[in-house]
Amino acid sequence: MKTTMSKNRITNTDIPEENRVISSHAGGNTAETIIGIDDVNFAYNKGTDVLKDVSLDINRGEVTAFIGPSGCGKSTLLRCLNRMNDLILTASITKGSINILGTDIYDPKVDPIELRKHVGMVFQKYNPFPKSIYENVAFGLRIQGIKKASILDEVVERSLTYAGLWDEVKDRLHSSGLGLSGGQQQRLCIARTIAVEPKIILMDEPCSALDPLSTAIIEDLITRLKNEFTIVIVTHNMQQATRVSDRTAYFYLGELIEVGPTTTIFNNPTEKRTEDYISGRFG
Amino acid sequence: MSDSNADTQKGSSDFEKRIFQRKGFTFFGLGLQDVIRYFFGGNASLAIIILILICFFLAKEAAMFFPDHHRGLKAYRSAGQEFVDYIGQEIEQHTRIYSSANIAYFAEVNRTSLEEDAILRAQRAVLANVESLTARSWKELERGLDNLEDAQEDLDDLKESEGALDASALSKLTKDIAQLEAKIVTVRAKLKKEVTVVLGSEKAWDLGGGGIGISSGARAKVLDAVLFEAFPDSKEDHPFIVETKAASRAKKGLEAEKLAGFKDTLKALQSAVRPMKDLHSDLKKIALESRKEINSLETAPARRDAWLAGAESTDDPAEKARMLARAGEVVIAAPDLSALNAPIYSSVDEHRTLLATLQAEVERLHKDLPDGAETESGRKNLKKADHYYGEFVTTVRENRDKIQGWRHDKSLGLMASVGAFLMGKDWVTNSSWHDFYGLLPLFTGSFLISIIALVVAVPFAVSAAVYVNQLANRREQTFIKPAIEFIGAIPSVVLGFFGILVFGETLRMVSQLEYLQWIPGFPMAERLTILNAGLLLAFMAVPTIFTLTEDALNNVPRALAENSLAMGATKLQTVFRVIVPTAISGIIAAVLLGFGRIIGETMVVLLVAGNKIKIPDFTEGLGVIAQPAHTMTGIIAQELGEVDNGSLHWRALFMVGVILFVISLGVNFTAQQILKKLQKI
Ligand SMILES: Nc1ncnc2c1ncn2[C@@H]1O[C@H](COP(=O)(O)OP(=O)(O)OP(=O)(O)O)[C@@H](O)[C@H]1O
Ligand SMILES: [Mg+2]
Repeated sequence: MKTTMSKNRITNTDIPEENRVISSHAGGNTAETIIGIDDVNFAYNKGTDVLKDVSLDINRGEVTAFIGPSGCGKSTLLRCLNRMNDLILTASITKGSINILGTDIYDPKVDPIELRKHVGMVFQKYNPFPKSIYENVAFGLRIQGIKKASILDEVVERSLTYAGLWDEVKDRLHSSGLGLSGGQQQRLCIARTIAVEPKIILMDEPCSALDPLSTAIIEDLITRLKNEFTIVIVTHNMQQATRVSDRTAYFYLGELIEVGPTTTIFNNPTEKRTEDYISGRFG
Repeated sequence: MSDSNADTQKGSSDFEKRIFQRKGFTFFGLGLQDVIRYFFGGNASLAIIILILICFFLAKEAAMFFPDHHRGLKAYRSAGQEFVDYIGQEIEQHTRIYSSANIAYFAEVNRTSLEEDAILRAQRAVLANVESLTARSWKELERGLDNLEDAQEDLDDLKESEGALDASALSKLTKDIAQLEAKIVTVRAKLKKEVTVVLGSEKAWDLGGGGIGISSGARAKVLDAVLFEAFPDSKEDHPFIVETKAASRAKKGLEAEKLAGFKDTLKALQSAVRPMKDLHSDLKKIALESRKEINSLETAPARRDAWLAGAESTDDPAEKARMLARAGEVVIAAPDLSALNAPIYSSVDEHRTLLATLQAEVERLHKDLPDGAETESGRKNLKKADHYYGEFVTTVRENRDKIQGWRHDKSLGLMASVGAFLMGKDWVTNSSWHDFYGLLPLFTGSFLISIIALVVAVPFAVSAAVYVNQLANRREQTFIKPAIEFIGAIPSVVLGFFGILVFGETLRMVSQLEYLQWIPGFPMAERLTILNAGLLLAFMAVPTIFTLTEDALNNVPRALAENSLAMGATKLQTVFRVIVPTAISGIIAAVLLGFGRIIGETMVVLLVAGNKIKIPDFTEGLGVIAQPAHTMTGIIAQELGEVDNGSLHWRALFMVGVILFVISLGVNFTAQQILKKLQKI
């Protein structure tokens, strides 16, 4: 499988430049757009664009998966959506705009702190704070100045229940979050994120450090979450993409090659490069 | 072995035969790798061996301290010195009450005449200033006056001499006198001009630090008075001064009248202690004699042996006989301690009656202490007197049984020597009475200085580290970090120098500022104080705490900050709710290591702390920081150079070193434990 994959990669790079296609906003159904990415270029350092002419709409209440070979810019685009890239001083969007809930998030009037309260993020490497389980989940509320114990208690319980962790930890809420297993820690991070009730949750390879069982639990969690949140997930696991996502976007070398309903992308891609990549996986 | 291998494996090539052999340089059968390894290992073990040797040496010298110290304490008891010091303690407590009350009394009496007193003081100060600034001309005038006097005497002698009047000598003398008189007039004129000029300068009006200023009206009058006293060289005071003196006296009298009863009590108290002091000094003389005999017994065998050895080596029979006789004179028998202490035993009753009188007077004073006072100093000292009264009562109560049951031959456990060292309130050496080796004054000095240093350094260094590590931009980082780390490169003796010459005086001046009076201990009378040393040590500890805190913050995974920011936390919330709490054990370790640096620092405290071996006066509250102190490190550095090897004093210093060592070890150990815990997270 590995060899097929690397062969495929080589094939991919051989694809002539002129075959590039800017994705039609496939899927074009009745769904409401919550994130509109419009012709975005992004550079970590001036002059070298890591994202090129990316245009993409993400619908409310759906799970959208970003796939593509390593280094193609999936994480970069994801981090543009909650302006985490602001932390890198030299990085900036050099062209285009990103609208979330109808607001251009790169408008000078937008406060990234406020934005991030509505656009939560779950990272590949789970990283609970070295605090108790309770304090981890309550963190988001505490920084918003909420001190009332009754509110905190309620939110902590609700978020942990939602993340499917409540039964496992309810007896040790006040012991360290670092004492949990990897899968539990990742779910704790998800609980922490949903505690502040964001509109959108960005997940960057949330299962790549977990065993199959924990992965299954989290995938199940994601399908449950999409009733209330819009989710964007980056994954290298093709099966995972087919299992959890409604729509899939395929990136290659900083460009969006194709986007559409997941079933279409996996069964009947328009682009040869998409097909090569996917079939490489399925080998 | 390889040969036999070669024999049995004929088919294999040369290369194959050598493939597993050790290659390259060997040394006694060791490869280069091994040599390097053993070299490094050797260095490491050498360090450990030296450490063990130091510990052993320290422990050996220090362990010898207690038996020696115990012998000294025993002699102190046997000679009756212990008993005498009980009485001395009571007298000292009494004196403290008396002098606090006395200061309070004078503060009250003088309070209405402050202005007059300031004027009088100013006039004296200005006059002295003017005289020293124009000293040369004053000398000239004096010389002129002397010469004139001499010449006039000569003239008188000439006139009274018998025989014919020497006309030419007479006319010469008259002419000289006229000349001298003229000169004096010019010098006077010059002097007057000089004085007027000097009076116009600020130098003349330098009234010294801490003086109360005088009004500009008073200033003009003082100027008049100074001029008046200088010209003509009047022996009388200027009317203004006379008036001021009278006013001052009158005002004081008025106040004194109000407190007349109090003053009487004070006087009575002062006279009540006199017989007690007499008794004390009589007994002291006796005890000192006994102590000399006891000490002399200790050295007697050595002295006799010295005479005998001298007699042995000399050839002159007369000299030999003399030396043998001296050897025979050396008394080796133990002195009769019961007889020597007889006067002490018989003084117990006398002491009891004297103490009863004294106690009654102290009680009376305590009852008569005014409820309140008009002046700050009055209030403060009344409070002190009240506090010392409490101490007096306790001391008397505790001493009653000690004095009644005192026996010169009561046994003394070895633990008493340990207690006297660890809990002793006095560190007195080279004394003609008795050497005390009590750790407390040194320990409190070290402790107070360290606390001040920590209280100042920790917030400063930790916040600087947080700023540099988390909030500063690149440019600030590249500037601030090396700057703070550079502080660590300043030799401590240079800092001490700075503390004496610049910082101490600046601090004293700053402490006089009106709006800083809320700080405890301000205004400060001294330059070399606990505060001064503490602040300088804080400065020295900053780089240590800063660097280690910065390291601890650096060790916090970047991802944690990212997670926090992604939750919508601000930068500051991230720093204070996530990063600092995560690094807290590292920060605590940094603080402890900073404390180790502070408590072990010697040069600065030796130069700057004021080196007064006394437990600071805690009745001042937090104001103790304005007092001088001595420290454990300072005393070792100061006294170790001038003591005899192996003497009790020498051992006592070693013991102080051991205590320091134990403290540092404890602090370092705690820091290590905390760091270990940190690495587990
Ligand atoms: N902080 C950064 N500074 C400069 N370049 C970066 C930075 N982060 C990523 N890049 C570059 O941007 C490109 C896209 O990186 P990105 O992390 O978005 O890839 P990715 O698709 O998420 O890959 P992976 O699947 O391996 O996570 C890469 O070429 C990478 O080298
Ligand atoms: Mg990535």
